[in-house]
Amino acid sequence: MIRRSFIPMATAALTAAGIAFMAVACADMEVAEQTADADAVMAPMFEVDPLWPKPLPNHWILGSAIGVTVDANDNIWIIHRGNGNPSTELGAAQDPPVAECCIPAPPVLQFSPDGDLLNHWGGPGEGYDWPGSNHGITVDPMGNLWIGGNGGDDAHILVFAQDGTFLKQFGEPGARRAESFDEADPAWSGNSMDPGNFGRVAKISFDASANEAYVADGYLNKRVAVLDIETGALKRYWGAYGNEPDDANIGRYDPEAPPAQQFRNPVHAADPSNDGHVYVCDRPNNRIQVFRTDGTFVMEKVLSGNTLGAGSTWDVAFSKDADQKYLYVADGQNMKVYVLLRETMEVLTTFGDGGRQPGQFFGTHSIATDSKGNIYTTETYEGKRVQKFTYMGEGPVEQQDQGVIWPSASR
Amino acid sequence: MALCLPVGTTDRCSPLTGRRAATGRVAVRVLLFLAIAGLTAAVPSTGAFGHDIPSDITVRAFIKPEGQRLRMLVRVPLEAMLDVTFPLTGPGYLDLSRADESLRDAAMLWLGQEVSIYEDGTRLAVPELVAVRASLPSDLSFHAYDTALASTRGPPLPVGTQIFWQQVMLDVLFEYRITSDRSEFSILPGLERLGLSVSTVLRFLPASGGERLYQYTGNPGHVVLDPRWHQAAFRFVQLGFTHILDGMDHLLFLLCLIIPFQRLRVLVILVTAFTVAHSVTLVAATLGLTPAALWFVPLVETVIAASIVYMALENIVSPGLRRRWMAVFGFGLVHGFGFAYALRDMLPFGGDHLVVSLLAFNVGVELGQLLVVLVCVPVLRILFKYLPGEQTGQGEQAGQSGQTGQTGQTGWTRQPRRIGAVILSVLAGHTAWHWLVERGAVLWEFDVLATTPDGALYGVAGLLVLMLVIAAFAGWAFLHSDRPPE
Repeated sequence: MIRRSFIPMATAALTAAGIAFMAVACADMEVAEQTADADAVMAPMFEVDPLWPKPLPNHWILGSAIGVTVDANDNIWIIHRGNGNPSTELGAAQDPPVAECCIPAPPVLQFSPDGDLLNHWGGPGEGYDWPGSNHGITVDPMGNLWIGGNGGDDAHILVFAQDGTFLKQFGEPGARRAESFDEADPAWSGNSMDPGNFGRVAKISFDASANEAYVADGYLNKRVAVLDIETGALKRYWGAYGNEPDDANIGRYDPEAPPAQQFRNPVHAADPSNDGHVYVCDRPNNRIQVFRTDGTFVMEKVLSGNTLGAGSTWDVAFSKDADQKYLYVADGQNMKVYVLLRETMEVLTTFGDGGRQPGQFFGTHSIATDSKGNIYTTETYEGKRVQKFTYMGEGPVEQQDQGVIWPSASR
Repeated sequence: MALCLPVGTTDRCSPLTGRRAATGRVAVRVLLFLAIAGLTAAVPSTGAFGHDIPSDITVRAFIKPEGQRLRMLVRVPLEAMLDVTFPLTGPGYLDLSRADESLRDAAMLWLGQEVSIYEDGTRLAVPELVAVRASLPSDLSFHAYDTALASTRGPPLPVGTQIFWQQVMLDVLFEYRITSDRSEFSILPGLERLGLSVSTVLRFLPASGGERLYQYTGNPGHVVLDPRWHQAAFRFVQLGFTHILDGMDHLLFLLCLIIPFQRLRVLVILVTAFTVAHSVTLVAATLGLTPAALWFVPLVETVIAASIVYMALENIVSPGLRRRWMAVFGFGLVHGFGFAYALRDMLPFGGDHLVVSLLAFNVGVELGQLLVVLVCVPVLRILFKYLPGEQTGQGEQAGQSGQTGQTGQTGWTRQPRRIGAVILSVLAGHTAWHWLVERGAVLWEFDVLATTPDGALYGVAGLLVLMLVIAAFAGWAFLHSDRPPE
């Protein structure tokens, strides 16, 4: 009799225990939110998705991944160089093949939001000059993809439709060759006044309302160049602080020296916001310079100012709320992403650390956001991958440097 | 000119026309094709002929009844408009100066003719095509009804806009004549043929105010846009019924329940206990009482696989009715989370009747489970009857009662029912073991154990405690199972 009654009693107890734990969880989360609302700094929170994207087919492998963008359908596009180490990574691509794997994937890859490979194309073709070292990929308001390049002769921009159809080329490769250029001893020189050619373009971004393209120009020139999207005609350009650009070599960055009055190479990104500002990554100078769209200097923000070498400000992306409240900055030298409040340019938090596990970075090169607020990054050097950081809503900042944001990391 | 253009490796025309029951609609379609063909012949420059069916298409739509008319706004990628030739220029830009007629034809052919809207159960006549517009993919006007309406009726893109035709968005405004904006409206979208996978985001703006969001992939069937409680209940009973029959892991769990206990009365009670349990967590999940962390779904799926492995092992080692009670209830709690994720996107189809919809879904699941029991029990009985072994009275009794028996195990292992139960359980357990390993590997990628407990983790801690209690109780029952069968 006792045993008969035990079953329903135990059942009820288990149910109650389960519901109680759920209630505790819910209450705990609500309390945390209320506490956060009261006194904590709030910032967008993310979790790395270690399962995104899905494996590539055909024994394909990524090389240094130096561009990422998200189209209107939330598909993710990346561009990479396929520069695997022949002896350790590209065995199947040798002649004769020395292994079953691997082969460089085509330079441009399109992924669905779920991480499925949808499309791929890129490389040399008829009618255009594929860059010697492709660099950056961005989707324009018409859905076309713009690609720059930082190879020796790269002085041009390419535009492709999403199916890989070549549409336009602005600038001519080789335009930056120095007068003393010799195949045996090649030399190039910047010319930030050139109205028709560029100097190793890092990235192109767009202002749909004005039908303008903003060119981070770049690895040889030292300017932001604004073009008409359809014709590619140069409309205006400027250097650091809105100065007329000067291509003279100003030497290495010195944290103790006064701020440089010119950009250092590379000028790595120039992204217009929807409230009429432009955020320029002056990479080796470790700063974001903010301008109005006419080139008027507004302010600058130095991030990790003691960073030497490649610098700390590699790429920017805006949060996808209507006000673009937050600015995300990729830092490939310190292996992290900064989350800034765009209005004040205050750093709210950072995430990431060096390494090759999910959520870590090795050469955080490019960054983009989709309509749901998720972040995508690509990594250059030997990082050679694309990662997704799922937007988890706003939350209280418990430590400014979050480190690696494993799923459900403490916050 | 052929009416059916081959598009890549797939011919879209034959199955379409083959499905047309109404010859009138076929005639309209033929006339449209002829009109398009004529238009094409008149177009002097290059054009886009048949093309591949796009793989993934997203359709955005608004439906709003206002007075004596119902407006339907639709945005669809132009590349989904098969069999229509659009005037092109340059490397593939849509020639906006000559595109209007083909855009209107495409809108009527693939949208106006395909979508069926009903007022109080009566299908409305073919709508009037009020406006059509080519838009940029970056255009955000379809995020709200008012901006979408203004944009679609607004000025067209400048003629000189260079936009690659496959990246154009086609915005269309249809108007239907209706009797009253307070009528009951329903829709049979019929847009699933636009791509290999068609996702639709449909917003219904009833005259009474508010907005109802429907998101679905493929063909959702006949959707009542503002359902009454009994309509919602009927739909969700159907959903629950089909979901349980579609879910291999849930079916395998049920099979493991059935294998050792082939008595309907016992099984009905067990299955009902399972339903009660998953109803609890289904409601909890629907109310948001679950962690939002990415690893929670893999965790639930892994535990579901583990539940099947456990049931299979218990069937093999020593099936006991007492342990089964608790196991079924405990695992039912976990399966409820799985149901919740399946149901998440479907809840808007219940309109304002959330509770009714949830209950109806559970009723549907219960009915599906009972059907499985009713089918499997006689099949298993017949199957086991012909297995080799010694038929003994004691064995029959032990096998039917589900008790392990207090005597030596070798006595009943040769009984046909027992042998059959072991074989089937091994097969089920083997399948589930593979799922467990695969899903566990996915879960392990998240390294849940490396995380610091926080509020969200309490929910999972609750689950784990439940599982521990179940295990402890099973152990207790096992230790006390050496008594005569009841």
